[in-house]
This record gives sequence, C-alpha cells and structure tokens, in this order.
Amino acid sequence: MATDKNKHLNDVLTSHKVSKEQDLLDKHKRKRDEICDALVEKYGADIYSPFNSGSFAKNTAVNKKFDFDLMAPFKRNAFSTLENMFNDVYDFLLEKYSSSAHVRKQKVSIGIEFFADDKGDIVKIDVVPGRELNQDQYKEDDKLNLYVYSQFGKLQSGSDYIRSNIKAQVQNIKDNADRANLRQKVRLLKVWKLYNNKTPKSFFLELITIKAFDKLEISGGLWDRLKSVIEYIRDNVTTVSLPDPGNSNNEVADSMSDYEKSALSDDMRNMINRIEENSDYIKIYFPLNDKFPVEDTSNNKYDERKVAPSIPPPTRFG
Amino acid sequence: MKLRNEEIGLFLEISDDLLRTIRESGLLHYPKEFGGILIGNYSTDKKIVNVIDTLLPTSYKSSKFSFERGSEGLKEQLETLFNGAPSLIYVGEWHTHPDAQPLPSGTDIMGLTGIAKHRDVNITSPILLIVGLTPASMELGFYVYFKDKIYRYETY
Repeated sequence: MATDKNKHLNDVLTSHKVSKEQDLLDKHKRKRDEICDALVEKYGADIYSPFNSGSFAKNTAVNKKFDFDLMAPFKRNAFSTLENMFNDVYDFLLEKYSSSAHVRKQKVSIGIEFFADDKGDIVKIDVVPGRELNQDQYKEDDKLNLYVYSQFGKLQSGSDYIRSNIKAQVQNIKDNADRANLRQKVRLLKVWKLYNNKTPKSFFLELITIKAFDKLEISGGLWDRLKSVIEYIRDNVTTVSLPDPGNSNNEVADSMSDYEKSALSDDMRNMINRIEENSDYIKIYFPLNDKFPVEDTSNNKYDERKVAPSIPPPTRFG
Repeated sequence: MKLRNEEIGLFLEISDDLLRTIRESGLLHYPKEFGGILIGNYSTDKKIVNVIDTLLPTSYKSSKFSFERGSEGLKEQLETLFNGAPSLIYVGEWHTHPDAQPLPSGTDIMGLTGIAKHRDVNITSPILLIVGLTPASMELGFYVYFKDKIYRYETY
C-alpha cells in the first residue's frame, strides 16, 4: 500500500521532537548553565551575558543528534586580538574540563563533548567566543567578531574573521516561523541530512528554506510544502545568494563549495524523483526515530469525568 | 487560529478577536502579569477544543512574575454558561508573561496539574495559554494537560 506522505512526515516530526529526550535535554541545560557561570566567574567585567545561539534558540532542533551552542560575547578591550580571545577561552575550558570531556578547537567555536555518563548519555556544548567591534558597542548593536580557527568555506583559517549579529540570526528565523510552519521544513531537512550523512550546515538549510518561502507561494499539505522547498533548492542552490541576517556582507552560500552545491542539487532531484516514483521512498529519506515510535492517537480525546460545570480552584501561575 | 499537537492528536481553535481581547486585557495590567479563564466547548468527537470566550477574575493578586487567580463569583457565571444554549464550559486558563517567552514555569505546570486533578473540575485536559507580552508584540504558547503530561500545540 502506498505511504501517506503527509501522515508519514507528521510522524517523523513527532518522533524527532526534542521533548522526547527530556532527560538529555535537562543534562545539556545543566552543563550549559555551569559553563555559563564558569565563564562569567573567570572573565568578570570582560564578558557580557552568554546566550543560546543554536537550534535550541531557534526551535529547529531534532532529537536524533543535538548539541547546545553558547555564544560568549566579550568586550573589545578584553583581548588584543581575536586569536588571543579564542585561545584564552580554549585554554580555560580545557583546564576546567579536560578530565571530564574532550575539548577541541572547531571552525569558530570550542567544542566540549562530555564523556558518556552512567546512562550512556553524551552532552555536547559548543562555546562560540565573540568580541564586540568597539568598547561598549555591543549593548547598542549586538554585533560581534568571531575568530575563524580553521577553514570555513571560503574563509581562511587564522587570517579571517566573521562579523555578525547572532541575535539577529536567531530573530530572523523566529520572525519567519509562522510562515506555513517554516520550522517544520527546516527540521525535516535536518532529519534528511542526519540520516543520509549529508554536509550542508543547518544555518545554510535554514536560510535557503526562508529564501524559498520568500520566492514561492508555499501551500498544500506537508509533503507539498516540503517538496516546494526541495525543488527550490534543486533549482537554485548553485546560484542563490544567502546573506547572513546578522551581517549582509557575510555570504552564507559561500560556506559550501561549488561542488558541494552541485551535489546538493542532485540529491534534491533524486529525492523528489524517487519519492514521486514510489511513495515508500519517503521513509528512507525521512525515517522515523526508532527510539520513539509514534503512538496511535485515534482514541485520544478531551474527556469529561461527568457532564457538569467545572469550577476551577484559585490557582497561582508564574 | 488553528493548532494541534501531533503527538496526542488533539486540536484547538481560537478566534483572532478573542486573542485581541486577551492581549488588551493583558496590556491593561502590563508590566504585571494578568490572566483569566477560558470558556468554550468540545467537538462532538472530542478531538477539538473550541475556545470561545474569557472570563476575567474579579479577585486576583499579580506582580511582574506571578499571577494568582481567585475564584470569587466564578461558580455562578460558569453555571449560567453551562445551562445556556449553546452550553459553554470551562476549558482552561490564560495568563501573561510580561517581557518574557510564553514558556510554562514550574509554577504554571503545578497550577495546571492541580486544576486537572481538582475534584470540582470535570474536564481531564485543561488547556493553558501563556501570552509573552510586550507593549509592541505578543507571542503565544498553547499547552494542554493530557495523561499526566503537558504538551504544546503548534499551528498547522
């Protein structure tokens, strides 16, 4: 029997909800808060309040693989160079966590991967150090310069930096979230990426999805709407411009090589052809998370203990 | 506005007019929290809750970070609505989070759980609307208590 594509995609979203991994989520939150406190204690007046900047802040996370991104905004005069900032934060985190985690330098962040706990859970937090452009200017414009440790698309390691407004990046997807439930499409593309071992950065997928919504009339059921986005990527990924909402001079499209873009276009073409050929293929491209099978909800309902008026007690909310 | 929670397969509908009324009531008390109860009915198959109106409390305590709804006069009003045509019932609660996200606090979760289990409440799945409110914007979070857990609705 043919697969109901809309129902399947809804089930995929349900089985990948981060709330299903509540314990792991709570462990991440506790570690994030601990790192946050440690940074504030270590750097005192040289640091502004660290904040969430990744998929959790944007509400686009899926439960198959997740980490937390913690933006650490420093004052201009805290470090003479961006490289000093990056290395100092790395040294501090390495010293603090080397006995309990792998700490490593990444493209623009310092990755902390804690050793598995007794339940086998692994907490991963990426700390992204950034420095304001001029002393005290961050309070006015939220802009930060990030150090590029290793090659990042067309940006060179060591010699380049990224200037951006991370809060504007987070706000961008929030502002677009209500457009035909755009975040659902981003989550589905992340599921595709994770299970099919693909390389596009999540930020790239977010921006190109928003672009598709800008350019197209996205309507219909969930599959029709996702298909419109996939077709847009297929047809435009090699030429599209994706300016960073935090700094229009940053071209996020440059984070992929021409070859990678071409391969992504082919992937999108193949995916649509296969699924249109045989709807069962949708289960391969967008699988359920086996750990969280979807329950039959047909018997669920708003129940009443008896047909009589309910009188709620005085209640406190916070 | 139509919302659903896919995980439990339940739906919620609420009009933009009612949301405007709620926002205006919240702004009158901003930057303190404020709230009220939600009135409506269930579809015949009990899959959809239609939120139709709000009753504002005549007794309450509020601050920037908390809101305590009293129950003075509620019984009489709810009995009148129940006996009306169409019959309307209590379906849940709403309150504002001034300058904050519409995410349930521990107090909110305890409050909703307490309502669901209270002997004078006959519905098993009360809903909770949290309104993240600033003078310029409103962000909504709709939740439901279902079988000992809280679920969030999403638009669709």
